[in-house]
Amino acid sequence: MNDAHNTSGQAYGLTVLTPIRDGHETQLARDLDLLQGGDDSPLARVPGTHFARWVVIGDVVYEGPRQRRDRLSLGRLLFTSNFDGPIAPYLEALRTGLGEAADAIWDHCEGYPGRDDPAAFAAYLRRHQVENALFFAAYGDRTVEQVKRSLGVRRDVIDFALAAQGMGAEALQAAFRERFGQ
Amino acid sequence: MANVEGKATAITVLTPVRRGGPLLLWLVFWAGRNITETLKKLETLSFIHYARWAVIERFPDEGEGERLQYSYLLFESNFNGTWDQYIDAFSEVVAFRMKAIWGTSFGFPGPLPVEPFKQYIRRNEFVANHYWSAYPGATTTEIVSAWRVGAALEQLKRRAATLGPEAFKAEYESFLTSVQRDL
Repeated sequence: MNDAHNTSGQAYGLTVLTPIRDGHETQLARDLDLLQGGDDSPLARVPGTHFARWVVIGDVVYEGPRQRRDRLSLGRLLFTSNFDGPIAPYLEALRTGLGEAADAIWDHCEGYPGRDDPAAFAAYLRRHQVENALFFAAYGDRTVEQVKRSLGVRRDVIDFALAAQGMGAEALQAAFRERFGQ
Repeated sequence: MANVEGKATAITVLTPVRRGGPLLLWLVFWAGRNITETLKKLETLSFIHYARWAVIERFPDEGEGERLQYSYLLFESNFNGTWDQYIDAFSEVVAFRMKAIWGTSFGFPGPLPVEPFKQYIRRNEFVANHYWSAYPGATTTEIVSAWRVGAALEQLKRRAATLGPEAFKAEYESFLTSVQRDL
């Protein structure tokens, strides 16, 4: 695994494909579909995650008679995450942050060791990782916290600019100092 | 099923690669990693947060990995805007690169005209079962803009420390002018 290919700035793109246990595909899809979204998503408890997803891939697509038909012996669960690297602490954050949800999801996959043993959990995901050929990050130098903080600053500047319209020089400077410090 | 989280949309595409394709893809992606022009072009599509391609020669399993008759090309993107806008922009702005990449896959009709290309992507797309974003309310442009605003604000704060009210007001107005496109 060449981790340089999975990295852009400080951002890391993790791609994991785990084999779904025979007969578990429908239940796994249902469990994932029923996960709470937004702040209640188990992924919200994994610091450093910018974007992540789980996708059940039942089988590969057949593009017609120009190709021979391929079939996966078992469906695969795709997990991808775009997070603040490096990978080792993130895999541990996944284990502790997802908690029970990690077991509820990956228990549907072959060979999943559970989350009790940090090394075994990390090794399982690493063993099923696929290396990226090209990873693009529009702001790969910025962590989740930096992104959120700067979005907040931008909002503050907009609010301040609206409130400060028409202020005299002294009032403006005082308001600016009070709002942003110096 | 959840391909959308706030302003963010997920796309996940897995396509079978023709024989000989993996070698071409190796070259295309090598160039992509080493010739910054490719990634810069993606930056001009200012609505992509993160994207990746991977060539799957073996689907990981508990052994050596499952090798099918073909390799598979995985593509994922996290972007803001609608699916249609995204594919439209891809087919228009980076048509050549799309051709170089998906031209190795079975059934790829070419990036233009866009309708057959959209049908192709839809056929080969998998919908996410769970999708999450840390900042679902923000577009890529807003994030990049916010960074510029923050940097300019820090600069203003440093300068303002020694200025009297009138000089500060002039600096502040100049600051607003410089960041107005980012607000």
